[in-house]
Amino acid sequence: MRNLPKAEVKIMDKLAKRLREDAERIDATISPELDARIDASLRAVTPARPADERRPARSWTFWLASSLTGAAAAIVLLVGLNMGDAPVETPPVVANSTIPNIVEVPVFDLHAETAVLTSPLSEELEALQSDLRKAEEKLREDIGL
Amino acid sequence: MSNELQLIEKAKAGSVEAFTDLVESYRGRLFRYLLTRCNNYADAEDALQDTLINAYKYLYSYNSQWRFSTWLYRIAIRNLISNRDDKVTELGDLGDAENDPLDQAIAASERQNLWSSARRLLNDEVYAAMWLRYAEDMSVRDIASALDRSVSWTKVNLMRGRNTLDAELAQSRSENYG
Repeated sequence: MRNLPKAEVKIMDKLAKRLREDAERIDATISPELDARIDASLRAVTPARPADERRPARSWTFWLASSLTGAAAAIVLLVGLNMGDAPVETPPVVANSTIPNIVEVPVFDLHAETAVLTSPLSEELEALQSDLRKAEEKLREDIGL
Repeated sequence: MSNELQLIEKAKAGSVEAFTDLVESYRGRLFRYLLTRCNNYADAEDALQDTLINAYKYLYSYNSQWRFSTWLYRIAIRNLISNRDDKVTELGDLGDAENDPLDQAIAASERQNLWSSARRLLNDEVYAAMWLRYAEDMSVRDIASALDRSVSWTKVNLMRGRNTLDAELAQSRSENYG
């Protein structure tokens, strides 16, 4: 701080004295009504308490249980990761693939006997053709042709 | 343990009587400051009530390495800042002169009160620093704590405030004699 000349220091002292006197001249009497109002307000207030006092302290069993739970969860997670389920192959996605239209086919009730194939196909074909000829001849005889 | 610390401990435990005793010697001085900072008497009364209620409610946060008056002023100044829009007299906005508590309080006096000039010429924080220094006789360190400012900021602004008021005083003196 700079060194002030004596005259300036004297003025400053006067200023300080004047400020102190002027402050004391301000009447600041607290009325009985205000007094009563403040007292009533104070009685309606409960002093706050620090946040760490409001929270009850945790016992050592709480921390032990929390640690064990955490360790168990970690083990389950690690085991699950190491089991390594085989990756599921997903069918390749074909771009612009077309899905064939499904045409509804009417169902006919043929009452036909199912051919039971017991020999090679060529022999079966000959046997079927022979059966067909015989059936045709029998039909002709029945209708008198 | 000092009597003040005993009262603080009792008040922390919920004793309104202890708190009332504790603030008995401070509240008149605090009210005087608030009268010079508020637009009317009712606002100053509300400000005093708010300050005391907050002090009682948050007494647990009081650190005994501070003077109790410093802590109370800190709460009062913060309250004024938070209610600045509607309650505090801003620089150059002195409101209705008829209802001004400072003018009413000094109306009976034969001379101009220098705190009126201070309020007109200084900003809020410098005014508060000047008040705490010259009306409350606080140390620079305590003023810095109350204003939440550094010690060097407080020293510089006290000097500026003094220079401003000294110039005002010299001018009014020359007008009276000139």
